[in-house]
Amino acid sequence: MDFGRPQEGERVRLRMRNLYILPTRFGWLWLAGTVLLQVVGIQMQSNGPLLLSFLMLSLFLLALHLTHFNLQGVELWCGSPTPGFADGPLPYPIHLRCPGRSEGVRLRLGREAAGPALALAAGEHELILCWTPPGRGLHRPGVLQVQTTAPLGLFCCWSRWRPAASQLVYPARRAGPVRLLASATGPLAGESVVISPREGSEDWRDLAPHRPQDSPSRLAWKLLAQGRGEYSKHFRDLPEAAPLLAPDPALPLEEALEHLSERIWRFHGQGEGYGLEIPGQSLPAARGVGHRDQCLAALACCR
Amino acid sequence: MGLLALGLLGLSPTLTLSLLAFGLAVLTALKLREARRIEERRVVALLQLVCAGLLAALRPELGPSLLQGLAILLALAGLLALELGAGPDWKVLLRRSLQVLLAALPIALVLFLLLPRMMPFGTLGWGQGMGAVTGLSDSMEPGAIARLAVSRQPAARVAFPAGGGPPPMDQRYWRVLVHDLFDGRSWRSTTPRDVLRPPGPSTTPYPPAGPEEGLQLWLTEASGLAAVPWSGQGRPLSPELRQRRNGELLSRAAGSQRRVYSLTDSPTTDDWRRQPPGLIDLALPWGENPRLQSLAAGWQRLGSGRARLEAAERWFRDQPFRYTLEPGPLPRRAPLDHFLFETRLGFCGHYASAFTTLMRAAGVPARVVSGYRGGQWVQPLGGTGYVDLRQADAHAWSEVWLEGEGWHRVDPTAWAAGDPLANGAAAASRQAGSGPWNWLQRQWWGLDVAWARWWLGYDSERQDAVISRLLGPHRQWLGVVVLLAVGVSLAAGLGGLGWLGRRRRGDPLRVELERTLRVLARQGVEPQPGETLPAFARRLEQLRPPLADPLSAFVALYQSHRFAPVPGRNGRREAQRLGRALRRSLRGGIRRGEAIQRDSS
Repeated sequence: MDFGRPQEGERVRLRMRNLYILPTRFGWLWLAGTVLLQVVGIQMQSNGPLLLSFLMLSLFLLALHLTHFNLQGVELWCGSPTPGFADGPLPYPIHLRCPGRSEGVRLRLGREAAGPALALAAGEHELILCWTPPGRGLHRPGVLQVQTTAPLGLFCCWSRWRPAASQLVYPARRAGPVRLLASATGPLAGESVVISPREGSEDWRDLAPHRPQDSPSRLAWKLLAQGRGEYSKHFRDLPEAAPLLAPDPALPLEEALEHLSERIWRFHGQGEGYGLEIPGQSLPAARGVGHRDQCLAALACCR
Repeated sequence: MGLLALGLLGLSPTLTLSLLAFGLAVLTALKLREARRIEERRVVALLQLVCAGLLAALRPELGPSLLQGLAILLALAGLLALELGAGPDWKVLLRRSLQVLLAALPIALVLFLLLPRMMPFGTLGWGQGMGAVTGLSDSMEPGAIARLAVSRQPAARVAFPAGGGPPPMDQRYWRVLVHDLFDGRSWRSTTPRDVLRPPGPSTTPYPPAGPEEGLQLWLTEASGLAAVPWSGQGRPLSPELRQRRNGELLSRAAGSQRRVYSLTDSPTTDDWRRQPPGLIDLALPWGENPRLQSLAAGWQRLGSGRARLEAAERWFRDQPFRYTLEPGPLPRRAPLDHFLFETRLGFCGHYASAFTTLMRAAGVPARVVSGYRGGQWVQPLGGTGYVDLRQADAHAWSEVWLEGEGWHRVDPTAWAAGDPLANGAAAASRQAGSGPWNWLQRQWWGLDVAWARWWLGYDSERQDAVISRLLGPHRQWLGVVVLLAVGVSLAAGLGGLGWLGRRRRGDPLRVELERTLRVLARQGVEPQPGETLPAFARRLEQLRPPLADPLSAFVALYQSHRFAPVPGRNGRREAQRLGRALRRSLRGGIRRGEAIQRDSS
């Protein structure tokens, strides 16, 4: 069942006014079976088929209410959706509060397939639903359909709600060329403002007493030969200049942004610093999760 | 599916409805095999239900009905399992299925008991078949039978629920078929067109039994015949019964299935006895049995039918006739002459056939009647007593027309030596068998008779009586009463299910804890985020020192059983007891606090 006016707002409570209920195809078949047994009972003047047909009719009436009770009084509200990439389904948190036990509840967000039937006990529940965004930007996930056919599958009771909380969608990550602007040579901005020189093999920095685990190649042979004891040489690498990433002007903007998205994700994974230069916004080179998210958000909202 | 297959075992494959049930069962099995999606499996459950309904029409006895009920319960459990999407815990599913069935049953019973029934739409003949099961047949040719096998299969049961008893043993003749066409060898029945007392339009019910009239409740096994047994006395009560002018009782219900019907038990209403004979009751193929005709010609000189009958009886008693089940075949030429004057050995069919022919030859209208004789009176431990008729009780006798008296029953078999009924009770006892198995069988049949009386006997007649008793002169309010009753039953069913749902919410230990926490929350004490139960209990003890003992006992028990591998029933009960004690203490505290506040104000 995929019709009915969707509810709007941060929070919705399912009740008579926003719950729809209709017999399923199986429900109509069930009624046909009831009629068939009634005819057999009348024709043969037999009590068995008559009582069974009345029993099936009673179950039909009972199922109408039981199916409705599964959703009646259920309250739904949005969680805080975390941003995600446009290259796959995004998790979207939904909170439910059930006044009683709700059985066979299926939720479907947007055009996704309905999830498995859930049996929810009374109380609050947080569910993570997935939806596939149409592209980058700030999007609402579409209509959430909550439905149930429990307990007998004779009726489908459903409601539709458009959750108000938007979710930030970064461009899909796709490897490709990006434009590297002039390197940033100064200290990198971001959560680690000063990048310390790292242990390396480029420039000799210091001497320290030799430890057994130190490599013999680092041993200061000259000092040893002079009889001044065993010392190890320590070197350091100077930090590389952090690149300033910009969209490749030879590519369409969306494609270029996807390449930037992938490059930022890769640089962050490797612990390297980077800056971002896109139309209307410039972010100095830095490292860290905050900087990454800032850059990706800038890409998501780039016009 | 296994239960349905079991229910199909006893069906005759020649009947339309049986074939439909067979086909549906096969279809269900095939669908079950190939069903993968939830929608397909739902259809399997529905097919099972419909199949059980068809079987209920074909096999309405107590045993098959129990099997059908179980099949319905399982089909519902299957539907629930499909919808709940959880792992199939059959114990839970069956319990839930039973709850749903019980919730729906009151509405179904209201509709079943009070919704006026429709009469059949026409004679579709769903149950008419070619197969015959009983020992009776609409044609009888005793001369062709060399050896008659005795079958102990059940034939019918008749109970007297209104308090009357069975007739004496020598009066227990239960007539079924009247054979009035004779071709020299075999006796046949005429086509049943002459209904003595048709119930007007087929929908007009018979008047109910009066207070002074007794009641006979009959339960017959499948026979394939339209005629059903009765004592020849009383008046039909069930609407599907019709009585022929010759005293046959016909049933519209399919002969391929068990039939249940009721009659009044009044000895005076036997109109069929006074229906005058026709030419057919004197018809004989002349010259077929010359010695018989010559003997009967001598009796024609006697004045009345009564005198001719007495002469025939004297002649039979003077001859050395002997009853036997192995008389050997009679020749095709003059078979009755051979029996009467040569072998003089035969069973009931030989005697009834020969005597009836003699009477016709003597100018007395006569006919052969077949049915059952005797039967054993069974009084089960609980319920109504009944006469148990077996196929071995099948019998044939004669009826002769006597001026001024009407049709008179004559049993010439009783004049022969060795008649089994002549030994009375001893023969009946031999016939019925003994031993624990037979005893158990009779007790079960007693239950079956009670089932037939209360369940199968609830027809439109009984329904009418129930409605009249309920509403009296306000029958026009039946529709409103049915609607109200359905509404009340629906509300009761939903309320019951809701109550059961609240009861099964979570495990009992948790329920106890939550109840206690709710009482505490009303007093403004709630656990803080991340606070464990023991920590909360310690804080509560500081706030409410009098609660220290019951609280620590409850928490200790909860902890030990909560984290034990399997919480035992005793532990749950103890937790419930302690939880109740704790809540009592808490509520006592509230009341004391309120009293103190009132005093201080």
